[in-house]
Formats: sequence, structure tokens, C-alpha cells
Amino acid sequence: MNSPSAQFVSSRRMSVYDPIHQINMWGEGFKSNGNLSASIPLIDEADLKFDSSQSEDASHGMLGTSNKYEQEANRPIDKIQRRLAQNREAARKSRLRKKAYVQQLESSRLKLVQLEQELERVRQQGMYMGGGLDSNNMCFAGPVNPGIAAFEMEYGHWVDEQNRQISEMRNALNSHISDIELRMLVDGMMNHYAEIYRMKSAAAKTDVFYVMSGMWKTTAERFFLWIGGFRPSELLKILGPMIEPLTEQQRLDIDNLGQSCQQAEDALSQGMEKLRQTLADSVAAGQFIEGTYIPQMATAMEKLEALVSFVNQETLQQMSRTLTIRQSARCLLALGEYFQRLRALSSLWSNRPREPA
Amino acid sequence: MHQAIPYMSSHNNNFGNINENYYSNKKKENHASSKGEEKMILNMVSENAVIVIGKRGCCMSHVVKRLLQSLGVNPAIHEVEEEKDEVIVARELESIIEGNVQFPMVFIGGKLFGGLDRLMATHISGELVPLLKQAGALWL
Repeated sequence: MNSPSAQFVSSRRMSVYDPIHQINMWGEGFKSNGNLSASIPLIDEADLKFDSSQSEDASHGMLGTSNKYEQEANRPIDKIQRRLAQNREAARKSRLRKKAYVQQLESSRLKLVQLEQELERVRQQGMYMGGGLDSNNMCFAGPVNPGIAAFEMEYGHWVDEQNRQISEMRNALNSHISDIELRMLVDGMMNHYAEIYRMKSAAAKTDVFYVMSGMWKTTAERFFLWIGGFRPSELLKILGPMIEPLTEQQRLDIDNLGQSCQQAEDALSQGMEKLRQTLADSVAAGQFIEGTYIPQMATAMEKLEALVSFVNQETLQQMSRTLTIRQSARCLLALGEYFQRLRALSSLWSNRPREPA
Repeated sequence: MHQAIPYMSSHNNNFGNINENYYSNKKKENHASSKGEEKMILNMVSENAVIVIGKRGCCMSHVVKRLLQSLGVNPAIHEVEEEKDEVIVARELESIIEGNVQFPMVFIGGKLFGGLDRLMATHISGELVPLLKQAGALWL
């Protein structure tokens, strides 16, 4: 008789303490997002259950003491509950404020970097145009095409955004975000690539040779230049190791994609060759006297350039269709980092410390 | 000596054969029979599993040709020479094409397939080869 009642007492005591703890947890949840209100009645249910089981027990004395215990505990519970909930609310608000402040700082910092880069660019252009040390000549040797100048500035912003997206993707893949959020990041990066393709096409309309020669790219990127862009088969080569493990079906699909890319590339290269030949012949035959502008030639080159962008875009799309969302995310991250490194390579190599002459 | 190879015999030619076949659209020959010419183009479209209609010397047409050939297809080619021809051909094809006529155009299985964009996109997504097989332009 003693042991069952002792058992009941201790478990009753526990149930008194547990509801306090649980009320506070649920109280917080209830206050902050209103979702857990359903859980609060559970406490009462739990208490009721214990009460009913208690009443079935023979000892009334025990029932009496447990009730008194419960009443005394209830009043401090209210106050504690309220105070803790208010604390939590204040802490949450403070965290949100801090987050907003940090975000503001980050965007200001980004803007600062952009402005610095623009300043540097303008300064360099000024040096180029100035020519010699003291010459105050007014002849501009730098790019005067306003469309191109605008493109270069936009490209700088594009690269900054790209770098930001790459960091975001890296963090996302290291943490454990949901597939839905990951998809949003993937779509964001794909759209960002679509953006540079649009910009390139617009720039090609003002100066197609500029775009075809990849003048806006760093020297290392230009080393891999192909019709003003990047070979889709190169893209696949870079991504290859990043997407393991693959299912058999995926492997087959990726192989087929590689083959299709190669065929498309070859066809485009041959088209480019033909265009070059036509242009060379025309120049030799004196058709471009004093550089007269022939619309068909420019249109053909613009179309080719657009096609290269298009093929690259389609390749990325097909990859994302074949892969899981996580694999796609890893691919895009790898691609972004590859180009980051390539860009860094240019400045590292050209700025390396040299042997004194 | 060059002729468009009609549909039936093009079956035999497709196996790894990279002969191009041309039908040059000579302006002088066609003055008399513009009606005949009209039929000619439409006939070519229906008689050939794959036909590319493009401007002469256009590098885009070249890309289309090379791509199809690399897949093992032997496309019929119809070259449109000058501005005037372009207009005639465009008018004719209006009956079977909605919207603007843009060269180069690819017809598969007697129907308009599209331009170079569509060709590239369909090839990259892996849908082109099955389509060509279905139209009898490719044999495994």
C-alpha cells in the first residue's frame, strides 16, 4: 500500500513541476506564433487525468495534499510565466533589430565596394586617356561608346551580385536548409546568368567586335574565349566531378548531354569559321572601304553570339532537369567558384612580385 | 546535276552519307512558272524528311546543315538567293506557316519545325534525335 501511494506522490509532484516547465515553453510558443495554443489545454487534461486517477485511489489524504500543493504552485506560476514570456519577447525583438542593423551594414559595405571599383575603373580610364605623364591632350583613346561604358559598369555590379550569390549558396549547402529554399537559390543563380546573357546581347548591338573579343573579361577568362563566351562542353567538364554520386539514368543523360553539346559546339564553330572567311574575303575584296558598316555581317555575328549564350543557358537548364536540387546547387556553386578563381588568377599573375630588372 | 532527292530514296542515302544535295533557285528559270514554283517549294517540304530553307551564304544555314549532318541526317537544302526570291518563298510558305518567315527554316516530316534556336534547344534537351527518327530522317 505504501509503495503505490509513494509512487503516486512522487509522480504527482513531478507532474506539478512538469506542467510549470511545459506551461512556460508552450506559453512562449503561444505568444510568439500562436501555433501552440492547442498544447495548453493538454496540461489541464494531464492534470485532470491524474486527478481522476487520484480519486480512484483509496487515500483521500493524499488527494487533499496534492490539491493544496497545486493551488500554492499556481499563483507563482502565473507571474513567472508572464515574466519569462515578456523576457523572451524582448529578446526576440532585440535579435530582430540586430539582424536588420547587420543587413543594413552589409548592403552599405557592398555599395562601398562597388563605388570603389567604379572609381578605380574611371581612374584607370583617365590614365589611359591621359597617355603620357603631363599631357593634357583631349583625344580620348579609351572606349567612348556609351553603350559599352554602360555595359562595363553593369558588369561590375553583376560580378558583385554573383559573388554574393556564391557565398550565399556555399553557406546554404553547409547548413541544412530545405529543398524549397535551395530551389529558390538555384533559380536565383540561373536567372542571374540569364541576366548577363541579356546584357551581352544588348552590348553586341552597339559593338559586336567588343563582345566577340570578350573585352570586358579578365585576361585569364579570355584565354578560354569561344565566340564571345564559354564552351558548353567546358562547363560540363568542370561540373563533372561535383555531381557524383549519379544514378545510372543520370549518368546516361549527362553523357548524352555532353555529346549534344559537343555537336552543337562543332556546328557553331563551323558557322563562325564561315563567317570569318566571308568577312576576310569582303575586306580583301575592298568591300569595307573605310570601314563601311555592313548590316548583314553585324547581324550574323550578333546572332552567333546570342546562340552561344543560348546554348550555354540550355545546357544549364538541361543539367538542372537531370539532377536533384541539391546536385544542381552544388553544380552552380562549383561553376561560380571556378569563374571566381579564374578571375582572381588574372590579377594574381599580373601583380606577382617580379625580380628586380 | 543537283536535284532534291525525294522522300523515298532519301531513306537509302541517310546512312553515314554526308553528301549535300542542293536545289538552287535560279531566278531566270522561274519567271514563267510562278505557280509551278509555288508548288515546288511545298512539294519539297512534303517530299523530304528534313529540308532546310535558308539564304545562300548565310552562316546560320551553315550551322544548321553541319549540326544535322553531324547527327547522320542528310537534309535537303533549298537556298534562297536574293531579296526577291526571299519574298516569293515567304509568300508561298505563308500558307503553311503562321507568323513571320525567318531564315533559316527547318522542316521535319513535312511540317515546319522552326529555326536555329529551336533546333539547338531541342537537340540539347535530347528531343531532336527521336523526332528525326520518327520522321524517317534517321535510322539507328
